Amino acid sequence: MKSLLATLALTTALTLPGLAMARPLTLTTTLTNYGGDGAYLALYVTDASGAYVGSLWMAGDKSRYYEHLSDWYRATGGDTAQVNGITGASVGAGRTLEITLDLADTLFDAGYTLRIDAAVEDMRDSPNEVAVPLTTAGAGTPVTGRRYVASFAYDM
Amino acid sequence: MKKTLRLLVASTALTAGIGVPAWSAMQAPSDVLRPVAGFFEEAPQTMPLVLASDDDDDDDYGREGSRRGHDDDDDDDDDDCDDDDDDDDCRGGARNPAPAGTVAPPQNGLFGNGAPPQVQVN
Repeated sequence: MKSLLATLALTTALTLPGLAMARPLTLTTTLTNYGGDGAYLALYVTDASGAYVGSLWMAGDKSRYYEHLSDWYRATGGDTAQVNGITGASVGAGRTLEITLDLADTLFDAGYTLRIDAAVEDMRDSPNEVAVPLTTAGAGTPVTGRRYVASFAYDM
Repeated sequence: MKKTLRLLVASTALTAGIGVPAWSAMQAPSDVLRPVAGFFEEAPQTMPLVLASDDDDDDDYGREGSRRGHDDDDDDDDDDCDDDDDDDDCRGGARNPAPAGTVAPPQNGLFGNGAPPQVQVN
């Protein structure tokens, strides 16, 4: 009985910090009716110095188009390993992409920025379409993109 | 004299016997003589011909600042980069990324619990 309790206490102690280190987050991106094909979107995070930290999602599965997500491409060299397992279809005009994930807690209020690069076939590329600081205060506040994103918000 | 003649005939026959199948195996357009080629050293090195496209006018990204599509003309024999196919090889062998759900997300320190994002498009 004692050993069972000890095991339970140990597993709880190990699990709790893990839960506390992640924060469920919903990223909602609504595109304008720009009248073109599906948009490629790269959602990624940079640190306080603007250096690339990592990718959160890649909408668009053909790597040959990634060079048009120019900021992301410059930061990663187009390395598809950066978006392995976090890649889905491109997003049509007027559609809403909703991504739910557990984001590391340390990213909030620490100078990190969530960025979106966008590109549409036969239309102008839009690097730095959206750039929002990751802060707890900024959660739920929609922002407008430069060209293709009608609104973007992250909710906790 | 007879002996010399016999030697000449024998060496010619031997040369023809070995040389002709070998030459034929190299020249044969069909697989008919392929078994013969197996007797020679060249056979293990026989490789299927891989057609390398020299067509550099497809996937023309000529317009600055725009994601251009592939051209859809029928005379383009390079279909490696067509949207319709699921061929992962394109642009010098660059692979498309693994779709969500097929592999774990990258270990970039962003995903708190390592679980892949859940996505829906409305």
